[in-house]
Amino acid sequence: MPPESSPVPLPHPTGPLAGYRVLDFADEKGQLCARLLAELGADVIKVEPREGDPTRANGPFFKGEAGPNTSLYWWAMNAGKRSVTCELRLDRGRELARRLAAESDMVIESWSPGKSAEFDMDYRSLSKLHSGIIVVSITNFGQTGPYRDLLATDIVGSAMGGHMHLNGDPEHGPVRTTAPQAYAQVNFQAAVGAMIALYSRGLNGGVGQHVDVSMQEAMSNAMDTAQATWDIRRVNTYGPGIRRNNSGVLGSRYLFEARDGWIAAQQAGGLIGPHANVIIDWLAESAEDRGLSRPEWRARLTTLVPPPTPEERSFVEETFGLFCRTRLKEELVAEAQRRGAGWAPVFGPREIVESKQLEARDYWVRVRHEDLGESFIYPGAPFKLSKTPSLQRGRAPHAGEHNDAVYSGLLGLDAAELRGLKLRMVI
Amino acid sequence: MALPRTPLKKPFEGLRVADFAWVGVGPTVSKYLADHGAEVIRIESHTYPETLRRVGPFVDDTPGLDNSGYYANFNSSKLGISLNLKHERGPELARRVVAACDVVTESFTPGTMARFGLDYDSLRRVREDVVMISMPLYGQTGPWASYMGYGHVLQAATGYNHLTGWPDAEPIGTGIPYTDFLVPHIAAVALIAALDYRRRTGEGQYIDFGQMEAAVHGLGTALLDWTVNGHEQLRMANRDPEAAPHGCYRCKDGRYVVIACFTEKQWDGFRAALGRPDWCDLERMRRKWQRLNEQREIDRHIGFWCAEYTANQVFRTMQDFGVPAGIVKSPEDMHRDPQLRHRKHYWRLRHPVMGERTYDAPAFRLSKTPAVVTKAAPLLGEDNEYVFREIVGLSDEEYVELLADGAFE
Repeated sequence: MPPESSPVPLPHPTGPLAGYRVLDFADEKGQLCARLLAELGADVIKVEPREGDPTRANGPFFKGEAGPNTSLYWWAMNAGKRSVTCELRLDRGRELARRLAAESDMVIESWSPGKSAEFDMDYRSLSKLHSGIIVVSITNFGQTGPYRDLLATDIVGSAMGGHMHLNGDPEHGPVRTTAPQAYAQVNFQAAVGAMIALYSRGLNGGVGQHVDVSMQEAMSNAMDTAQATWDIRRVNTYGPGIRRNNSGVLGSRYLFEARDGWIAAQQAGGLIGPHANVIIDWLAESAEDRGLSRPEWRARLTTLVPPPTPEERSFVEETFGLFCRTRLKEELVAEAQRRGAGWAPVFGPREIVESKQLEARDYWVRVRHEDLGESFIYPGAPFKLSKTPSLQRGRAPHAGEHNDAVYSGLLGLDAAELRGLKLRMVI
Repeated sequence: MALPRTPLKKPFEGLRVADFAWVGVGPTVSKYLADHGAEVIRIESHTYPETLRRVGPFVDDTPGLDNSGYYANFNSSKLGISLNLKHERGPELARRVVAACDVVTESFTPGTMARFGLDYDSLRRVREDVVMISMPLYGQTGPWASYMGYGHVLQAATGYNHLTGWPDAEPIGTGIPYTDFLVPHIAAVALIAALDYRRRTGEGQYIDFGQMEAAVHGLGTALLDWTVNGHEQLRMANRDPEAAPHGCYRCKDGRYVVIACFTEKQWDGFRAALGRPDWCDLERMRRKWQRLNEQREIDRHIGFWCAEYTANQVFRTMQDFGVPAGIVKSPEDMHRDPQLRHRKHYWRLRHPVMGERTYDAPAFRLSKTPAVVTKAAPLLGEDNEYVFREIVGLSDEEYVELLADGAFE
């Protein structure tokens, strides 16, 4: 009897990575990396333990109810993949995983350093199966070095990667971004490493290699000028709150409250700096400039000679704040943009989903969850390739949903062998 | 299978890139290509100097187009030319550079490249198999396509402000133009995928990359929580919806540590690390869902405890007891970090004007074809002669004539 076909993932033969196969053993540090490759057309197979991947227990959950298939984390990070179960703690499981690896171009894993060798899934051992294999190992601090065995979660990566020192404000101290960014960064940067290794393989006669990715290093690449500022000026940049920090110097306020929320507008909305006249004119047109349109103010604010005192800065920022408070944020931003000032509204998730810009770009996709009898809106492709598009490929798989398709279809196991593996609790 | 005897080529060896991109996002994408073997030509101008060249930190606090650490860090291993696109022969010269290139990158507001006859349709005529990526904030179409801005404001439009800060205070966002350090990696994935397709089929293509669309993929579960559950996530300072304790604490030496307990095992380790104080054994601390309701009290106790020890003591003790913990590293700490030093994360490169400076390296090590940084960032127009005479093929007379006429300004 042919294996029953699953409604997901949706086929994507026109993706630039169609024809490549990726095995995904990763946790929070690599699942999004693998999902990007799936959306580019690769056949990504998520390998889970028999009871399902531990990240299926990550919240939030559909309707707030925890369950094997209700984790929105799982939905977001594993959409577009196939899933097999395979018990790596058993010899037969490891043997099965190695057979899968032999049919794959790439393995993505995030075990702590040294662990993959216990499963015979390290690069040395896998490269003996075929020399083209690429193993992407994503860890907290990398495969080597004094910190290699330290424990970390997102907040530890954000702290040890220098990012939290740049966030926060002088009064309350450092702060983490609530949506985990050390995880996001290491996923995206691992994907770059994976793609470079894949390209290199094509150029170099099919030779694969090991890609050793560090979450700490990924986060440390998001330090803006702070790294160079220490190197050059010996100044430590810290969280500037509602202001901006320019090469270690605390700058002007950039965040202002509008009638219906907040806007981001640098340098007191542009009132301080070479283009100040544009904003002063706007304030003057509605007689809300509080004297800033006088020639001496105009000259001071555009040239900064002599630089405004802290009291004068406060007056300017307050003037701008009063102007914003009576207006709607999207009106403010539209008019500022018309006048040549690069502002943006502060959007939360609802406003992002309702954004006219993303709607006009046909960004969102409706994803069918036939198992729940519902469909939901998901973010669409992160970029538009004209010939070989990225594609959202439907809901995330259930644990082992593709066992039959993969183990029979790909490895050629017959029904009796499959039954044997199930009986021995391998799959 | 025997390995090939010839040494392996660098991943992008033989690829040439015309890099019209500027500020943070574009140069980070082409830095990946340059540090892995591509010949990347930054196309800039004296008339409209690249923004980053005008922004510090400057060596000796002296502004200068060849003196910015900001610019230098994102432009290692690249060549630099200057070309005034508004000179009557500027666009033609740019097209001749592109004719010798495999890749074009740019991040101008939509329409700018077309005004100079440098849009994809025009460039395809001089180089049929070119892969071109455009990376403005909001993509090539839609009501915001012409909107300007930098990463400071894009982080606002893409949810990072909303999700960073204290819940009862302003949405301060990260302290940096955050999306500038997030979306280039996604753009690089798109670009290399297109290059791999080109390697196999010989076909180029165009990539319409809107930074906003890429950036919101870094929001974790926030979007689905809204579209599926109608729940709008909000910034929660250093807490986490699924861990308690989870926070950032000030230590005796004034430095901060972070501590996270997601599992019961970690909580047990945490209690042991603190020497099992009574409050840990209270009934209302027994299960995680209970601790999630007691975070104010937990944070208060940890605050007192941390005030007795240095950050390093807290960090080491927690790790020894199996609790994920770390020190909030300052930029200075990062330069001295034993792990980053062991990994040779930072590169030291000698720049003719700025002297020996520190550059960021990729977060990954490729075992066989690693990144090899070849030179510090280019001076503005440093490689004009090589590019215009050897690659474009201008004669001596033509080159001098154009130089005198200001084409390279």
